[in-house]
Amino acid sequence: TGDALRAFHTALRSSPVNSKNQAMKEQAQGTMLKVLTSFKSSEIEQAVNSLDRNGVDLLMKYIYKGFEKPTENSSAILLQWHEKALAVGGLGSIVRVLTARKTV
Amino acid sequence: EIALCPNNHEVHIYRKDGAKWSKVHELKEHNGQVTGIDWAPESNRLVTCGTDRNAYVWTLKGNIWKPTLVILRINRAARCVKWSPKENKFAVGSGSRLISICYFEQENDWWVCKHIKKPIRSTVLSLDWHPNNVLLAAGSCDFKCRIFSAYIKEVEERPSPTPWGSKMPFGELMFESSSSCGWVHSICFSASGARVAWVSHDSTLCLADANKKMAVASLCTETLPLLAVTFITENSLVAAGHDCYPMLFTYEESQGALTFGGKLDVPKQSSQRGLTARERFQNLDKKASSDTANATLDTLHKNSISQISVLAGGKANCSQFCTTGMDGGMSIWDVK
Repeated sequence: TGDALRAFHTALRSSPVNSKNQAMKEQAQGTMLKVLTSFKSSEIEQAVNSLDRNGVDLLMKYIYKGFEKPTENSSAILLQWHEKALAVGGLGSIVRVLTARKTV
Repeated sequence: EIALCPNNHEVHIYRKDGAKWSKVHELKEHNGQVTGIDWAPESNRLVTCGTDRNAYVWTLKGNIWKPTLVILRINRAARCVKWSPKENKFAVGSGSRLISICYFEQENDWWVCKHIKKPIRSTVLSLDWHPNNVLLAAGSCDFKCRIFSAYIKEVEERPSPTPWGSKMPFGELMFESSSSCGWVHSICFSASGARVAWVSHDSTLCLADANKKMAVASLCTETLPLLAVTFITENSLVAAGHDCYPMLFTYEESQGALTFGGKLDVPKQSSQRGLTARERFQNLDKKASSDTANATLDTLHKNSISQISVLAGGKANCSQFCTTGMDGGMSIWDVK
């Protein structure tokens, strides 16, 4: 669990929001998806609670980005993350995914 | 008395008699939706603006409101209008990406206007005047909150320095925000004028503090976007929007932080009544669910709140405010 949590925070911290490099963003998205998938369902809530407001907003951006290109299992896992992130971030965090100028 | 526009070309004035409101006047002059109304309490004049690109100043003569046309020189709809504190000027925000500052020219017996254009890049949605009658805050669809000088030498003395700056020629940009990512729906100066707060469509509330070198504090809310905001003391604000209930926010000066102070609304009334079998089946047919939860809003307003007005106590010590919304309802709230 400790590893997954560390990987999670690292992936969020190094996210290329300010860059316009598409390839870099796609790679970051792939990495994030792997990290999110590696969590056990019971550990998701704790991971979300370890984030600050900006972290939750960033996580929401990744979740919706992940929904755009679903793989076999990804949507189900992303939906679990979505439920926990929504509980903490509220509808406001989803609004900010829609209005954001800097995408993940 | 209140003046309102029932979402058409007219303005209706209602008077309260005891507990009852009755319509006493109908002001018909606009050729398009009336988008802004402001009532000057001292001089008892109304100013209205609309999608017909015009503004009218209304004066009560006997028992009739007489309109005077004000040419705004805009080629898009007017969106909002506000009298200045001394009521000798008013500002109109429009889709022409500029603000028309209008004042009365005695010699010609005519309202004239000057434009503030740079650097506004989209529709001006909201305006609020600083208590010094010169500075004007404007919120725009280009995501920015700006403070301009609307100094008109023809009607006033040169203003003394404020925490926002000392040189205030007409059109001077005193402050521009850079934080929001959404249309700025509403903007408000605090009673002292040293602070300005705004809400934007990315579900954020921001506050700029001139006493802290214009540092901006912002709060990402958990709610749907807010459409209206007002100060009720120098440190607290009430805002409301698409979630249909007003909420409290506080500004903590030393940390420069904004925090959510809670939802303000009437508590949920009676318990849910049971559904008949027929209603259950209808629900199943319409919504694929026989669940009664979330069928109606349990807030007082049943649709988005679009405006908040301070009724008593001013912005320094508000004891009563009023909310109006897209449900056509008006509610008065007491602050305890």
